[in-house]
Order: sequence, then structure tokens, then C-alpha cells
Amino acid sequence: MSNDFSVHVEHVTRVEGHGNIILDVKNGKIEKLQWSVVEAPRFFEAMLRGQHYNELRPITSRICGICSIGHSLASLKATEDALGVKITSQTATLRRLAIHAENMQSHILHIGYLVAPDLFGAGSVFSMLGKHTDAVLKIVKLHRLANEMSDLICGRTIHPIRLVVGGFSLQPTEKQLIQLKKRLLEAQELTNELAPIILSVADNLPSFTRETEYIGLTSDEEYSLYDGDIASTDTGKHPSYRDYKEIMQEYIVPHSTAKYAKHARDSYMVGALARFNMNSCQLHPVAQDIASLFKLKAINYNPFMNTIAQLVEFSHSIQDSIYLIDTLVDQGIKQEKPVKPMKKAGRGVGIVEVPRGILVHDYTLNSQGYCTKANCIIPTNQNHANIQKDMEKLVPEIINRPEKEIELTLEMLVRAYDPCISCSTHYLDVSFK
Amino acid sequence: MIPVSLVLPIISTFPSNNFFCCMKKKIGVIGLGNPLRRDDGIGLVLLKYLQENKKKLSKTIEFIDGGTSGMNLLHLLGNYDIVLILDAVDFKGTPGEIKKFTVEQIKNQKIQFFLSTHEPDILTVFSLLKELDKAPTQLLIFGIQPKDISYRIGLSKEVHQVLPILQKKILKEIQSITE
Repeated sequence: MSNDFSVHVEHVTRVEGHGNIILDVKNGKIEKLQWSVVEAPRFFEAMLRGQHYNELRPITSRICGICSIGHSLASLKATEDALGVKITSQTATLRRLAIHAENMQSHILHIGYLVAPDLFGAGSVFSMLGKHTDAVLKIVKLHRLANEMSDLICGRTIHPIRLVVGGFSLQPTEKQLIQLKKRLLEAQELTNELAPIILSVADNLPSFTRETEYIGLTSDEEYSLYDGDIASTDTGKHPSYRDYKEIMQEYIVPHSTAKYAKHARDSYMVGALARFNMNSCQLHPVAQDIASLFKLKAINYNPFMNTIAQLVEFSHSIQDSIYLIDTLVDQGIKQEKPVKPMKKAGRGVGIVEVPRGILVHDYTLNSQGYCTKANCIIPTNQNHANIQKDMEKLVPEIINRPEKEIELTLEMLVRAYDPCISCSTHYLDVSFK
Repeated sequence: MIPVSLVLPIISTFPSNNFFCCMKKKIGVIGLGNPLRRDDGIGLVLLKYLQENKKKLSKTIEFIDGGTSGMNLLHLLGNYDIVLILDAVDFKGTPGEIKKFTVEQIKNQKIQFFLSTHEPDILTVFSLLKELDKAPTQLLIFGIQPKDISYRIGLSKEVHQVLPILQKKILKEIQSITE
């Protein structure tokens, strides 16, 4: 290949908010290599100021169309932390089911519609139809189930309505939960059939490694998604969730309008692989079997394996959901009213794991219950620096390959992280025939 | 000032409302958009109005807040024989202007490649459903031209001014389609 070339993936999707990959090589040397997220500064925190605490959850559920349950839960936890609300164990269990529903929804979308086409060399999910229709249909079925689970627990496929401060506005019935359990058992069978299909093309995941720091929630009790302590693979557990800024140190870079983040090193990774690397021993045995099938062991430093970690988590979410449903049915599900706040003022921090990683909401409420200060740290912004550092190590390793292959590998790297780069509008831009 | 287009019937090259003659079918009215981005949320504002006036509409209609669902719309769309979408659409019209159209009438349809699952829009979802043979029999989009889609809650002055007219029009349109 030529000594001089450029790879510019200028990915303008809709109105604004896009990720650009820029690589300029001259005389065989890298002159410029940038992962640049050009996104209009988001004003979500400003929108929250002046809003009553009951409005914070519905507003933040609109930040992202993929992680609307996660934003809802982080928002509720922050609000309840500020107002001293102690939720019931039934609410905590149902919220765990909600977070599993979203994890499954998002992971199967990512595995099936975004990464599988790369692995099958198909270009897009559309091109997979015909030759790999069976795989697509399995993915579609699993996706449907995850959506139905979200509908049942949260009242909607996305932008949930049943999650409210102090509990749920409506709980599912025992009959509905038993029906869901049957569907989850079927989903595990389908997942077991899908895993070998993915395995058959898993060699197409680049065998790249770069040591980095992984950050997420951890707990002695469970594989952390809804609750836990902030932890790092470099520095261990952090003593206080309220001091999350000591871990998630956000900063601005000149080439991007999105915030970046670092901690013990110059970048860190959040998401399924980070959680797997920290907490894999707490996965359900069925999920651990899937990890073994792919020879995925902690610590794994290959970011492309994030997709496999998602498949492992998908199975864990099925199994843990079955366990949680059994618990609810055994205890007898009650139509509980939400717990009322005992006070109106205070500062609260809510942290959950969403599909792309650890998410923080931090609110301060005044004596009338209105928000005076808000901070949201989203997973994608925490991953931007890690994507950049991965590219800086990856490109010299593949620089002698054909230009198209370099471009595809860099795109695959970005897709492995599945960044949230403009989900806040789905505005169409059309002209007519 | 009210744009001229809004005192006229909804602009359409759509064949006729008789297109939807088999009225026992399952109909979904889906509002799309983000209320945190000003006029991008107009589809949801209109959906809410229709829900509040559902007694004036056929009982076979279901109302869905699709928000910014992207690919998660796949199964929602597949649940209906007829889908009516309410959404902000930039067709280079006057702010608040409304057009109804089918997917087939759009010139610049293309299957994009994606870097993120957050990207697919309604057109991509519909195309995939067609490939899977699970698409609704008909999909009709009511596109409203936005003025401002910046990050702020509340419609722009231009779109807000014509909202009562938009609401009446959309109610009348959906009544005539589904009667």
C-alpha cells in the first residue's frame, strides 16, 4: 500500500452529533489520528434546574433512546438519596428486573444489528438476510422478548412510565411474571443456539490488546448493575459514592465537544467488558459457560471482546431475571404504593450500570423540592479517551494493511464501544420524488 | 403569523384516504421525537392531543409514545397493520407546515452504515421490517417542519403559534383515514 493515505470516516448521520475517525499518514508515518465526537453541547443539566423532583425522572429518561431505563433509575436513586426515601425490597427487585430488561434490549441490538454484520462480513444487517437469515431471526426474537420485558416492568418499551420516586406506579401481576419466566427460559435456549453461531465467526474480532483501567460498580452481594460501590481495576473500591468525581475526572479536549474522562491512567473503559473484568466470578454459571465457550477470562484487555462480554451478560440477565421472578412469586407480589419522601431538600447521588457502563446523576434540591444543581456523567463520555488511546496503539500495528481494512478495523473498534453519539433526536431530513 | 400552508388542507401527494379502506385492521399512531429538543417533540405533543380526544377517534387505534426508540421501534411497527407516524421532518418547508407522505415517496432513502445502535431512524427500521416480511401493510408519516431543535424544553414560538391548527388538522386527518 501507499506510504501516503488518509482514512476519514466523517459520519454525519442526522442533524448534529456524529463521530469522526481521522487518520492521515505521510511517508508511512502517522501525522494525525483522532477520534472526534462533534456534538452540540448538551444542556440536560441546565434543563433539570428549576424542575420539581417528580419531573427529574421523566425528563432524564429522554436523554437517551437506548438507556432510558438506566437514566430513569439513576435519576430516581439520586432523588431518593436526596430526600431520604428508603424503597421496599419488592421495588428493589423490580428495578433489578428493569435494568436487566434494558441490558438485554441494548446488548442484543448491539450484538445483532451492529457487530454481527462485521463478523459475517456482511456490511449491514440487511446483507445478512439470505445467507444468515437464521441468525437474524434469532436476534430479532431475543430483541422482541427484551422489549416485552421492558413493556411489562416499565410500562413501555423505552422512556418508562411506571418507575416513580419511591417505587412503581403499577406492579406486574404474578400471572404476568410467570408468563415472563417462561419466555425467559425460551430466550436462554435461543441464546445457547446463537452463541455457537457467533463463535463460528468470532475469529474475525481483531486480536488486539492494550492494558487500561476498568471502572464500574462492584458488590459483595451480586454482579453489580443496579447497586454497588464504585471500583477500579487499578485502585480497588472507592470509599464514597458521593465523591464519584475523584474517580471520574472529566476534562475537555480541543478536537471534541464531548467531555472526556480519566482516573489513574490517561484513559479508562466502562461497560460490559469492564464489569466482566471486575466481577466475572459473580456471573450466573450459565453465563460463565458462554464466557468459557469464547475463552473469555478476566482480565481481558481486548476492547473488541466487549461484544462477547455483552453476550455473556445477556445470558446472566436472563438467569438473574428468572431468579428474581421466582423470589417475587415466592414472596407474593403486592400492589405497593410508592414510599413518600420525608423531606424535600438535600443532595443525592444515584449510580447504576447501564449497558454502556457506569452512569451518575447528582442532584441538589431546595426546601421546596426543586432542583438547584444537577450533574450527569454518561458512560460514552468516559470511553472517548479510551477509544482514542486504543486507536493510537492499534494503527501502528495494522498500518501496512490495505487502507480499506484499516478503515474497517477502526470502525469496528468504535462499534465495539457502541457510543451514544446522537440518540437524542431522530429527526428525519427528506426530499420527495 | 400563520404560514399560508396551514390554512390550506394538508399538502399531500398521497393517493387518497380510501387507501386505508380495510378498517377492521389494527392501527397504531406513533409519536416520535424528543421533547428535550424543542420542535423535535412536536410528534409527541400531537400524540398527547389525540389521546386526550380519543373518544372522537376509532376504538381500533392504539397510541404509542415512540420517543427516540430507533431500532426498538422494530417490534412496535410490526404489531400493526397500519401505522401512522407523527414526527418532526425537515422537508425545507415553513415552520409548522405539515406534510403527509409514504416511505416510497421519499427520494433520499438510503440504508446507512452505523457506528452506533443509537442511529437508525424510522426509515431504516421500516426497511428491515420489509426485508423480514413483518412490515405493516401501510405506513404513513405526518411530518411537521420544525423551526428549532436545539436543547430546550418547549416548542418554538413559530410552531407553538400554529399548534391549535395542527391539532385540529391531525385529528381530522386521522378521523378521515380510520373512519
